[in-house]
Amino acid sequence: MRASDRRRRTSSAVTLYVIVLVAFQVFLITVAVEAFQTDDERLAWATAIISVGLAGAAAAFLRYLRP
Amino acid sequence: MNDDRPVPVSISPAWRRDFPYEAVSEEEVTRREFARYLVLGAGTMAAADVGLAIWTQLRTINTGEPRAIVALAAVPIGDTHLFRYPGADDPAILVRFGDTDVVAFSQKCTHLGCVVYFEANEQRWHCPCHEGNFEARTGAVVSGPPTRPLGRIDVEVRDDGQIWALGRHA
Repeated sequence: MRASDRRRRTSSAVTLYVIVLVAFQVFLITVAVEAFQTDDERLAWATAIISVGLAGAAAAFLRYLRP
Repeated sequence: MNDDRPVPVSISPAWRRDFPYEAVSEEEVTRREFARYLVLGAGTMAAADVGLAIWTQLRTINTGEPRAIVALAAVPIGDTHLFRYPGADDPAILVRFGDTDVVAFSQKCTHLGCVVYFEANEQRWHCPCHEGNFEARTGAVVSGPPTRPLGRIDVEVRDDGQIWALGRHA
């Protein structure tokens, strides 16, 4: 496999992975709203921590994309 | 001068010939930029999650102050009485099961906030919007889409013959 093909496939995979992370974050928003409605502080904070982690992971994957 | 060389033809995809319109800067969004937008959205949603967590932590829920609701004699056994508690925008309902046996709940269905009413024949609270049902005495979910019980309001019958609301549970 040529290096350019490998780079293109890598960037496609990274983009797809970021899309999956963002989709999961949309789900986490619904969980956070549910926690807010039920006044469940532990669930709200757990959701926030996971969401921040996912956002950080998505940002970290950007470095694998070609400029 | 006669030039017989073929004129170069620009090669473009068929869809470009069928749909020869271009949006401004449509060629300029690279994969990296698209991913950057996604990460920006992810950061925004993470910030929203943190904000919701902080809001959940810091807010104070009005559970209500003790106050008289209605005279016990005004509610026949097996009948219900509508009132507002703890605030003027919080519909609530009580049902009298016996002499001094009274229970009260928030009238908002925990599914999507429709108003529930008492079904004496079935001994349950019923939400007509999505067919949610709650147990009459505890407010626990019996069937339907709700996942949380009705918000219970502590009530007691005092010596003055009045039914008092003491506070609401979340």
